[in-house]
Amino acid sequence: MSLVSEVLTGGIRGGTSINYAALGESVSERGGVINLGTEGSMLCGALAAYAVAAESGNLWLGVAAGAVAGGLLSLVHAYFVLSRGANQLATGLVVLFLGLGLTSMFGVDYVQALAPTFKPIDLPILGSIPLIGPIMFDQDALVYVSYVLVPVLWWVIYRSRWGVLLRAAGERSEVLTANGIGVLRIQYIAVVVGGMMAGVGGAHLSIAYTKAWFENMVQGRGFVAVAVVMFAARQPFKVAAGAYLFGSALALSPALQSRGYGINQFALDAVPYVVTLLALILLGRRRANETPEGLSKVFDAPTVA
Amino acid sequence: MTVVTQDGSFDRVADAGAASPSLAERLDRLTGVARVLAAFLAALVLFGLVMMLKGVNPLTAYVDMVSSTFSSWDSVGDILVRSTPIMLAGLAVTVPARAGLINVGGEGQLIIGAVTAYGMSMMVDGRLAGGLTLVLMVIAAALGGAVWSGLAAVLKQVVGISESVTTLLMNYIALDLMYFLIYDRWKDTAGSGQPTTEALPISERLPLVGLGRLHGGIFLAIGATVLISIVFAVTTWGFRLKVVGGNTEAARRSGLKVGLLLLSAMAVGGALAGIGGLTQLAGAEFKLRPGFVAGYGYIGFLASWLGRHRPVYVVLSAALLSTIVVGGDSLQIDSGLPAASVNVLMALLLLMVFGFGRKKVTA
Amino acid sequence: MKIRRLGMLAAAVALIAAACSSNTTDNESAASDEPAATTTPGATAGTGAAAPAGDAPGVGAAKVGFIFVGPKDDFGYNQAAFAGSEAVAAAHPDIEVITAENVPEDDNATRVMQKMVDDGAKIIFATSYGHLDPALKIAADNPDVVVVQQGNVITGTIPPNAGTYFGTVYEPVYLAGMAAGSVTESNKLGFIYAFPIPQTIANINAFELGAQSVNPDAETYVVNTSNWCDPAKQAEAASSLIAQGVDVLTQHQDCTATITKAAEEAGVMVIGYHADASALAPEGWVTGSEWDWAALYNDIVDTALAGEFTGSKYNANFRVGYKDGANPFVQSAYGPMVTDETQQEIADELELISSTGSPFAGPVTAQDGTLLFEDGEVPVYDEIESRNSAFVEGVIGEIPQG
Repeated sequence: MSLVSEVLTGGIRGGTSINYAALGESVSERGGVINLGTEGSMLCGALAAYAVAAESGNLWLGVAAGAVAGGLLSLVHAYFVLSRGANQLATGLVVLFLGLGLTSMFGVDYVQALAPTFKPIDLPILGSIPLIGPIMFDQDALVYVSYVLVPVLWWVIYRSRWGVLLRAAGERSEVLTANGIGVLRIQYIAVVVGGMMAGVGGAHLSIAYTKAWFENMVQGRGFVAVAVVMFAARQPFKVAAGAYLFGSALALSPALQSRGYGINQFALDAVPYVVTLLALILLGRRRANETPEGLSKVFDAPTVA
Repeated sequence: MTVVTQDGSFDRVADAGAASPSLAERLDRLTGVARVLAAFLAALVLFGLVMMLKGVNPLTAYVDMVSSTFSSWDSVGDILVRSTPIMLAGLAVTVPARAGLINVGGEGQLIIGAVTAYGMSMMVDGRLAGGLTLVLMVIAAALGGAVWSGLAAVLKQVVGISESVTTLLMNYIALDLMYFLIYDRWKDTAGSGQPTTEALPISERLPLVGLGRLHGGIFLAIGATVLISIVFAVTTWGFRLKVVGGNTEAARRSGLKVGLLLLSAMAVGGALAGIGGLTQLAGAEFKLRPGFVAGYGYIGFLASWLGRHRPVYVVLSAALLSTIVVGGDSLQIDSGLPAASVNVLMALLLLMVFGFGRKKVTA
Repeated sequence: MKIRRLGMLAAAVALIAAACSSNTTDNESAASDEPAATTTPGATAGTGAAAPAGDAPGVGAAKVGFIFVGPKDDFGYNQAAFAGSEAVAAAHPDIEVITAENVPEDDNATRVMQKMVDDGAKIIFATSYGHLDPALKIAADNPDVVVVQQGNVITGTIPPNAGTYFGTVYEPVYLAGMAAGSVTESNKLGFIYAFPIPQTIANINAFELGAQSVNPDAETYVVNTSNWCDPAKQAEAASSLIAQGVDVLTQHQDCTATITKAAEEAGVMVIGYHADASALAPEGWVTGSEWDWAALYNDIVDTALAGEFTGSKYNANFRVGYKDGANPFVQSAYGPMVTDETQQEIADELELISSTGSPFAGPVTAQDGTLLFEDGEVPVYDEIESRNSAFVEGVIGEIPQG
């Protein structure tokens, strides 16, 4: 396999958990709520998926459990932010610590458990497309689901009634209130759906990508997802591209090493963050204007009266 | 909308600092304290239930935790060693917060401070007296942290990107920068292959103060707290930051140099975190290594919120959170719970205080 | 404003510097410009002062403490060490064994070990490679406590109450390499490692040399993950190696499940490390090496309890291998693809290494053609790790430069 196709294949494979989490975080942020606890939701999703898959032998039941666990943790975030008026950034970090602690307390029993795992499926026809086929269509089922999820999410955000309400909740909540629509309910849904997607991302990590559960196995990929959302300005297609960019940067090092080249991984690791920062600088004002008003209020809210 | 307007309320008490507080304000403060204590208690009860799920007797666990965490003066020293960089990281959030800025970048600024301090030590390369080098390292750490955080303030002013986004992103860049250096140019080649730098010479380390392993960095943290409190209370700069933080537009119209004030607040914050990184480097670790100050910046961020951005409370909060983390050692050694369990206790405590520690604010 | 503040801070630093004792208790102090500091361990911090003078370290221990860098059920290194600690508890019913997992390789380890000492532990096992610096701090601050570290090497003066110990891991790894060389069809072996520490380089070299000894065409492709346990990085490393046509995969990681399962799923063979993971790869399991710490841990504890630690073989960089008859790193069971003939060859080699041979019996040539070990040379255990400074011929990959 050529270096380029190997890195891109690895980029998709390794970027998928980030992709799910970042898509979820986009939904949450569209509704005006940033969730730094995404990493925690991924951990909960990874453990729940692995545990349920191990107990039941059913992979899709595992994925569902991962979604539920990720969603439950983000519900904690939603409650304290939306109903108790706590600061979003601080609460998100707390929720991350909560997820980290709970999963290591209750994950001990599953480190040694054997769970079934998703295997790559070489798709007929699509898989034989030159170049793209082996890169995109020799992946596991959860990767394929994410291919479908991206356009669907785009449609939901930009074309569906719920998407209009979601964006309104994040940007012009007073309009919704004036029309008698409950902003709070929409935001709750956005945060919890976001956490569920992060949970599926965690599930991909445990029952597809690494085939194992270890405590703290997400290793910062939830924070990467938050950065991807900034990079992508909350647009699903750009989120996917950003996730694969991060994934490819991670896949480049082993691909080069296995060909005999030594490399300092950390110069590569910084690239996506620098690119994100540069993109924000170059597109600064425009991006800033695109930021949901509710969210920019969070970022710019006076912290002390 | 409730999401964003919650932050304006809690400094009412502090506002009353100049005039003597009215009876109503005193009562309000009292119920505030009572509420916070109730929130603490609720967190302890909740975590007790979680422990019971794991088959651990919560009462025994708590007793063990307290008795072993405070078993000797030296163990108090260990708590303060752990607290020192977190206190400074907390203040690094507090100063910008006064001007309405959210600095999520304490983590990166701690690292950059340690990296620039170590770089200074390498540059001096033993040609100056150790104490002098140490002073230069403190300055380098402060400048490094200030530049790193100041960039976020500049980008906010010039390009309009939120400082909370840029500071968060720059945390990763700082971490990768440190990793790059310790795996590459700065790696101790005479070492055992681990990615660490050489240890600082003894003369360039913060001296011990006679309480176990506690080092002089604690005086930097306490000194900074006192200084910031005074600056907030009596200087025009401190006052102006508050004006900007209260209403930027009004501040601008009244002729304040808002850009400069925001930049200086952010830079001072970064400098504090940078010094925090130095204290860990020159006081406890002596080397840059993987995992250096990992998470300390985020815990400092939470300490600043827990202390409601008031310097003395922030530093006490940092000490409290550090004590809990240190108490986590007992949870696993005495009670057999996984090491990370203590995160649950810390998270529950913070959630209870953030959510119920004061009356819910509605817009 | 800031200038003034910095000035005040600088003054504060100078003041403190003048008033306090220096901060010297760590590994490097032995090699530093103030060597006097190490000759009086305990003088810099108060904890050690309580020890009754003349008492040998470790005597009368009511508790023995173990710290692990990872979770104690990681299908690997930490699990094996934890099993060893349980063996100590079983053999010493009157002693309480206390353990702490996930102890990072930084100053937090100092605090955790100090708590164990404060709780009454007089013998401490710091089981991760990076725990050495904190372990030496504890040894210096607590002269009545024996602190032994697993796998690293103390350079400079060895304190009277400290030491390192390890098995000669490269010996069974060499034997596993022989098995790998005999079963490979592509002649490409894969080795996923964490950090380029001497111990790991010696392992990689031994693996390749073992494979070469039965199959001159065998090459070992190496990838590092810069982390003892990051399953996602392991998964990607395994994919990259398998894409290169590797058909036998092995590793030097703390947690081993991900790579073992990835190999099994991709239909390539796998050689275990640290623990028996054959259950995870029923098809592809070739063999492996695993820890059996019980005897060594117990002997260290008994030596310390008897007051004989100082000056003993454990008060040094102790390495135990086949020549001593008690390597704690033992061979795992063979899979069905290893023929009786190969098993006999390996058994013969084990015999040889146990007497007059060595995995690094010269000549051993590095990638760049220089000789690591001279022709006819049989190096002793003390030298082997430090002289494995480069990959041998047949290893495909670069050591990340320091």
